[in-house]
Amino acid sequence: MDVLRRNNVKVSGSGTQPMLFAHGFGCDQNMWRFVAPAFADDYRIVLFDYVGAGRSDIAAYDAERYASLDGYADDVLDVCGALDLRDVVFVGHSVSAMVGVLAAKRAPERFAELVLIGPSPRYLNDAPDYVGGFERSDIEGLLETMDRNYIGWANYLAPAIMANPDRPELSQELNDSFCSTDPVIARRFAEATFFADNRADLAGVTVPSLILQCSDDIIAPREVGAYVHRALERSTLRHMTATGHCPHMSAPDETIALMREYLSRRNGG
Amino acid sequence: MAADHGALGVTYDAGSLVDALPCGIVSFDDAGRVVYTNATLRTLLGYDAGELEGKHVEQMLTVAGRIFYQTHFFPMLRLHGSVREVFLLLRTKSGADVGALANASRATRGGATVIDCVLMEVHERRKYEEELLRARRAADVANAELAAHARALEEVLAREREQALELELQTQFSQEQAAELEAQQEELQAAYDQLLARRDELESARVAADEANRAKSQFLSTMSHELRTPLNAIAGYVQLMEMEVQGPITGSQRESLDRIARSQRHLLRLVNDVLNLARIEAGRVDYRLEPVTVGTLMAAVLPMVEPQVAMAELTLVSTVDDGLAVRADREKTQQVLINLLTNAVKFTPRGGRVTVRTLTDAAAQMVLVEVSDTGIGIPAEQLAHVFEPFVQVATGPSRTAEGTGLGLAISRDLARGMGGDVRAESTLGAGSTFTLWLPPA
Repeated sequence: MDVLRRNNVKVSGSGTQPMLFAHGFGCDQNMWRFVAPAFADDYRIVLFDYVGAGRSDIAAYDAERYASLDGYADDVLDVCGALDLRDVVFVGHSVSAMVGVLAAKRAPERFAELVLIGPSPRYLNDAPDYVGGFERSDIEGLLETMDRNYIGWANYLAPAIMANPDRPELSQELNDSFCSTDPVIARRFAEATFFADNRADLAGVTVPSLILQCSDDIIAPREVGAYVHRALERSTLRHMTATGHCPHMSAPDETIALMREYLSRRNGG
Repeated sequence: MAADHGALGVTYDAGSLVDALPCGIVSFDDAGRVVYTNATLRTLLGYDAGELEGKHVEQMLTVAGRIFYQTHFFPMLRLHGSVREVFLLLRTKSGADVGALANASRATRGGATVIDCVLMEVHERRKYEEELLRARRAADVANAELAAHARALEEVLAREREQALELELQTQFSQEQAAELEAQQEELQAAYDQLLARRDELESARVAADEANRAKSQFLSTMSHELRTPLNAIAGYVQLMEMEVQGPITGSQRESLDRIARSQRHLLRLVNDVLNLARIEAGRVDYRLEPVTVGTLMAAVLPMVEPQVAMAELTLVSTVDDGLAVRADREKTQQVLINLLTNAVKFTPRGGRVTVRTLTDAAAQMVLVEVSDTGIGIPAEQLAHVFEPFVQVATGPSRTAEGTGLGLAISRDLARGMGGDVRAESTLGAGSTFTLWLPPA
């Protein structure tokens, strides 16, 4: 099995310490393009797509393996193994923050730092003590919106593609549309993400971590960031002025600055 | 915004134009802060002017819509600069859901980044998409039901297994019963497994059999034609020799010619039967269906079998209702009746009786013509096979050798071709009854 091809792994940068970026649900490694280049001088940058996302090998998709986040953690560890990465700075967005926690727990020897952007160990509320932010019906609404958009895009673009075989950029547009062309896989990833409960996995993580918490993040609210910080030993919590759930895309400068500051302090700077 | 086109005497205003558009428009920055809305959008969502500005664009979305915005919509916009035809569920100020198609693009204006988004409320398209989704869900449900049936069956089996086990534990007396139950359950399980496996096998076997049957009919049909030509030549030359056209012949030569002629006739009959069966099976027979009374049919048929009846010293009793009418092909029905009667005569010992009578089956709405004999009868295990081509009941007297073994197969195929059937009943030693079923006129 060629992991590098399977996960569309891209390696760049002139540093030696690896910085491994893991994309979140709904997108692919492209989401890092505003942040990753800032670290290229000092680190060895490793980007990849989870199987089923971006330009990964869809044929390698195994519904059973990717039914839970453990399967995605396998992907992270497979990439680490294929490149024999050590001393890794792992940067994970959204669901990948938890995927990084699972990977660091299974192979702590590979990881130096975890940078967790908008982490949430459980998206569903668990009354009365835990507020994840969502009810089951909200997630079902999301799944329906996804279904509808995949149908809509297929209806809208498929005829155009069929009628214009000489214009491959139309197919490319479909490919780029949601960073994943397979609605079934996207739906399963959504279910694995939003119905997961990884609260128990936060205990016993030995790798130090930075939690980047946005303001007004509907997907990972402030209380959830605080919860992760409390449960995760050796974690540092930083609140961002950036709003929303994707600071690495909406506020890359602030994201880069907070990561630099944290990493230089950790390295005795 | 107002521009003065003094020469024309009218002015236009971009703001009022945008408000007049039939679609909602909203502009916001990367952080999602709304900087502009048009009147159409505010009306759609129930907000007053200025109420949405400064708020987060998520305020206009359902919770599901917000997640989708953060995980799909904004990343696409940020990475590709635009999104097209994306479905979003909007939320009005009063909390109602409104489906909308969004087209948006991200641009830099005056040093700041702005996302301009056009929202079209969807009605028709949404209806079709819902139908598509419903169809897909129905398929999912059907699949799930299938799986549930399989599970239910497994549960029944599991329960039976449990019951068997319980029974065994509860009472030592009924140990045998429990074992029996368990055995039955195992049999059931095995039978179920076998059934599943057999179903697939049978299906492919059926396809193969149909194919083979077609090939066989084709082969038989061609071969029969090939055989008939030389057979007719044989008959012709025998006749010429018998007429001494080519010179006088001796008495023993004439006897030989007679044997040749008899053999030729037998062979020709066989070939004709084979050809008929092949044509019926190949579906190449045309039926001329018309109302015809049983009386008419019997009047044509009886004179043809009476010499055989007399020769075999049998009694033929006909109590048919002459006026009863069926809808059938006259010639083919006669062929069937002659075959049934000839069979009855053939298989009934001297002094026996052949009876023909009519019945009507109200439930099936059919007319029945029954031909019974007092012959030797047919063993039950062979009764099922008498309609198969080339099958003759082996226990009959030596006369059986005369037939080709195709008569009943042809008769049943013809009857079925006319919407009827031929069925057989028999009591060994007491006689057989063959019944021709036909639809009434």
